Amino acid sequence: MFDRLEFLFGEATMALRRNVLMALAAITTVAVSLFLIGGLGYVYFRIDEYARTLPGKQEMRVFLRSGAPYAQITETAKQIRAMPGVASAVWMPKEKVWEKERLQHPDLTEGIENPYPDAFKVTLSDLSSAGKVAGAIRAMPAVEPAGGVVYLEKELEFIDQAMRVVRWLGSVFGSLLFVTGGVLIYNAIRLTILSRRVEVRIMQLVGATRLTIRAPFVIEGIVQGALGGALAALMVLASHQVFARFIESLKADVTSPPFPLGLALAGLSLAGATYGLLCSVVAVRSPMRLQ
Amino acid sequence: MPSHPPDHRGKRQRAAGRLCHPPPRRRVSNPASPYIVFENVEVRYSPLVRGLCGATLRIERGEFVFFVGRTGAGKSTLLKLLTREAAPTSGKVTLAGIDLGRLREREIPALRRQMGIIPQDFALLPRKRVWENVAYAMRAVGATRKEVRRRVPAILEQVNIGHRADAFPHQLSGGEQQRVAIARALINDPPLLLADEPTGNLDPEHSLEIMQILARLNERGTTVLVASHDVLTVAKVNRRIVTVEGGQVTSDSKSEAPARV
Repeated sequence: MFDRLEFLFGEATMALRRNVLMALAAITTVAVSLFLIGGLGYVYFRIDEYARTLPGKQEMRVFLRSGAPYAQITETAKQIRAMPGVASAVWMPKEKVWEKERLQHPDLTEGIENPYPDAFKVTLSDLSSAGKVAGAIRAMPAVEPAGGVVYLEKELEFIDQAMRVVRWLGSVFGSLLFVTGGVLIYNAIRLTILSRRVEVRIMQLVGATRLTIRAPFVIEGIVQGALGGALAALMVLASHQVFARFIESLKADVTSPPFPLGLALAGLSLAGATYGLLCSVVAVRSPMRLQ
Repeated sequence: MPSHPPDHRGKRQRAAGRLCHPPPRRRVSNPASPYIVFENVEVRYSPLVRGLCGATLRIERGEFVFFVGRTGAGKSTLLKLLTREAAPTSGKVTLAGIDLGRLREREIPALRRQMGIIPQDFALLPRKRVWENVAYAMRAVGATRKEVRRRVPAILEQVNIGHRADAFPHQLSGGEQQRVAIARALINDPPLLLADEPTGNLDPEHSLEIMQILARLNERGTTVLVASHDVLTVAKVNRRIVTVEGGQVTSDSKSEAPARV
C-alpha cells in the first residue's frame, strides 16, 4: 500500500515539476478567487459584526409629539415593530427618562422641568433598511415632525455602502476568478498529460489500471487547489490586519478579535482541494481514454 | 507445442493475473480450441476508412506468426484488435475464448497485462536509465520496489541488455532500444507477445538480432505475433507468414493456400 502511494505521489510530484509556471498560474488564480469569495465574505461578516457591536450604530430614537394620546402611542409602537428591518421598539416614557437623568446628574437637573418628550428606542436588524424605516416613522402622526427621528445616518450609510461593495466584489470578481482558476487548473492538467504522454502510453501498454494512470494528475489538481486555498488564507489574514487597523483608527476603544488563521487555512485549503479535484477529474476524463 | 514457462511472478502479480480473467459466464476457453480467432472481422475507422474487411484467421498457442503486407494493408489493425486499441465493427475476435469485442473499457488494462506489446517507436523514457524504464512499467502495474529489484536484472538478461542497464536510451543503438522495449513487454510474463513493426527503424543486422530474441521467447512457449513489412528479415526467420492485403488475409503459409475470406 505504501509502495503504491509512493509511486502515485512520486508521479504527481513529477507532473507538478513538469509545468511549474502553469501550476503557479493556476495556484495564484485559485488563491485570488478564493480570497475574493471567502476572504471578502469574512470581511463582510466582520463589518456586519462591527456594526452590531458598536453601541448606538443600529439604534434610532423616535421622539413623539407632546401630548400624544396613549392609544396613538400604542398604535405607533405596533406599526414600528411590524416594519421590515426593525428588531425591536421600546417605549421610553419621558418621566422614566427624566428620573434616570436626575439620578445620574442631580446637580445639573435641579430646578429644571422635564424637557424630554416621550420616545421609542428602535433597534434595527438590517442596516440597509435604516433610511426607509426612518422615512416611514417620520410620516407617522404621533411622531414629532422636526427632528422626530434621530440616528447615526451617515455612519450607517457608510457601513451599508461598504457592505454592498464587499458583497458585489466578492460575488462578481470572485465568481469570475473562480471559473478562471478552474480553467487554469484544467489547462495545467491537460498540458501535463500532454508532456507526459509517453509515460501515459507506457502505462496503457503494460496494462496499468485507469486509477493508476489518472491518480497522479488528480493529485496534482488537488495540490494546486489546496495550495491556492492556503495562499488565499494568508491573503485574508493580511487584509484582516489592514481592516482591523482601519477600524481601530476610526474608534480607539474598539479592538478586533484575533484572526482564526488555523480555521481559515483548513477551510480554504479544503475548498481549494475540492475544487482542484473536480477540475482535474474533468481534465483527465477526455484525453485519458484508452487508445 | 512448447509448454508455458514456470510462473516467476510475485504473489501480487499472480493475484492480479487471476483478477484479469473475465467472469465465469464469459469464459469459454478450451485448450483444444484455437488461442486466437479472427472471424470475418471488419473494422471501420470512419465511413471512408477501413482497417479490415472480412479477415478470418486462427492462431494456436505457442505459434510465431508474421503479418506481412503493404503499409495500410491492415496488419497493425489485427494487432490493435488484440490489444483493444481497436474494436471490430462486425465479426468476432476471441483470445483464449474471450470475445474481445464485448470487453468493457475498464477490463482492457487486465487484458493488456496478459500480453506484451512492443511498439514500433520503442516508447522509452529518455530521462530514465534502461533499468528504470523497465522498473517504471513494473511499478505502474503494481510491483513493489522489492519485486522490481529482484526481477529487473533477470528481465534485462532475457533480451541481452543487462550490460547496458545503467545507460540512457540516447546512449543506445536502435537495436538496443528495441531490446529494452521488448524487456518492458516481458514484465508481466505474458503468454502472448505483440510487436508492431519491431524492425521498422533498424538495419538488417539489428533486425535479425531482434527477430532471434523473439524466436527465443517463442521457443519458451510465448505466442508471438509480429506485424512487419520487412520481407527479407521475415524470410530469414522462417515462421508462419500471414499476408494481409486490402484489409483481408490473402495468404497463409500454414495452409499453403490462399485463406478463405
